[in-house]
Amino acid sequence: MIDCDVHNSWASSRELLPYLDPYSRDFLARGELPGGRDSFPHAHQPWLHPEGFLRTDAIPPDGGPPGSSYELLREQLLDRYDLEYAILTGDEAIEVSTLANARLAAALARAANDWTIDTWLSRDARLKGSLVVAPQDPHAAAAEIRRLGDHPDFVQVLVSTGAQRPYGDPFYHPIWDAAAEVDLPIAAHLGGQGGVNANPTGCGPPTFFFEAHALLCESGIGHVASLIAHGIFEKWPNLHFVLIECGVAWLPAILWRLDADYKALRKEAPWLTMLPSEYAARHIRLTTQPLEQPAELRHLWTLLEAIDGENTLLFASDYPHWDFDDPERLQVPPAWKERIFGENARELYRLPKGAEATHAAAEPRGA
Amino acid sequence: MNEAADRRGHSRFFVCRAEALPPGERVVREVDGRSIGVFNVDGRFFALHNRCPHRGGPLCLGPVTGTTLRSDDFRYVYGRAGRVLRCAWHGWEFEIESGRALVDPKVRAKTFPVEVDDGDVYVLV
Repeated sequence: MIDCDVHNSWASSRELLPYLDPYSRDFLARGELPGGRDSFPHAHQPWLHPEGFLRTDAIPPDGGPPGSSYELLREQLLDRYDLEYAILTGDEAIEVSTLANARLAAALARAANDWTIDTWLSRDARLKGSLVVAPQDPHAAAAEIRRLGDHPDFVQVLVSTGAQRPYGDPFYHPIWDAAAEVDLPIAAHLGGQGGVNANPTGCGPPTFFFEAHALLCESGIGHVASLIAHGIFEKWPNLHFVLIECGVAWLPAILWRLDADYKALRKEAPWLTMLPSEYAARHIRLTTQPLEQPAELRHLWTLLEAIDGENTLLFASDYPHWDFDDPERLQVPPAWKERIFGENARELYRLPKGAEATHAAAEPRGA
Repeated sequence: MNEAADRRGHSRFFVCRAEALPPGERVVREVDGRSIGVFNVDGRFFALHNRCPHRGGPLCLGPVTGTTLRSDDFRYVYGRAGRVLRCAWHGWEFEIESGRALVDPKVRAKTFPVEVDDGDVYVLV
């Protein structure tokens, strides 16, 4: 089983100090931070989780934040579910996208990536990383992709869904260009809904966390439409886009609408050679968590058939967040399980079989 | 309305005098119980059923335009001026000459042969 959204965290942002340039180090050491010492520079979304958004049983014995202890993550996730691989998506790192200071954002992303290599990827062969970039300066993001894109344990580039404009916009093309050069998919994880990313939802910010959480899909919808419309997959035909934690059931409806409107207004995008739904099936992958679970499962499964869910969905647990999906309880069409729980991710990320065996050999490193 | 059957079983219906339908213009006529549009594209005449294969809209009442040509360098290259008919309802684009939808050539509006005989334009139905 491959889990495509696992949040590893630092116990304190001060863990990044050794990886920062002097300006950014001063900032973390003495600058204003949103939650006091140990917190990470970022703008917060305008709604707050009334209970905190972490699994309370995932707090390590030393009291650090959930996801900050390799040993506990290993016990509660890697070993508990016998994972072949966990795709790490970090926790606060993608929030660099909210900062107005793009230089600081890029420096923090670089530090987070180096920290991820040292703290996690070198520790267990089952852990694969996401190369976080700050999209507000696409050239700096591209440089970071070229700096670390060849590292064998980074399997994708990662940004937040919160953004200053949709990711198909030519403004971002340097990022796609670099990702194509190092042959990594680009993933967008829910987040970055604040600061310079001033449009968390189209009609203004929701009030409550549960209300906001149900609208997770909204910025994801905008990116999917933008990538297809701007011909990202014509320009870089080998690239994939992974949308993480934005739900799934909305996608068929949006693709039906895009197909219908493209047929009438193809003149706006004469670089396209396929229907939007065809680009999506070939190039867009979605992680499952939080997978919609209606009372009548067949209602969902009919929708998933419409997007070839067997081949486009990637299982994700979202450990250790409060809306974690337990792979032993998640209901997907039984005939699709092998692909959704492993083979789709293996093909996308080109993961060799048998990491468990490699892991056994590598185990002393992490012990 | 003149009417005569040709050897393929078509009936020939008078539409208008050719000089009444200059390049870039169209007429829409009821012909044998069907609404048909006849278009003059650069001196050549084409007839299309005034019924869009997409949703049945009045295809031949839409604008005759050009459009962006398929481009692989992400620029707008305009072409086909005067040879594209956009349906009056949802705006699907059709090549007037063939009736084919630009977005999907498998979708075709019904076309009819046109004859010009001694300055008279006829549609064959």
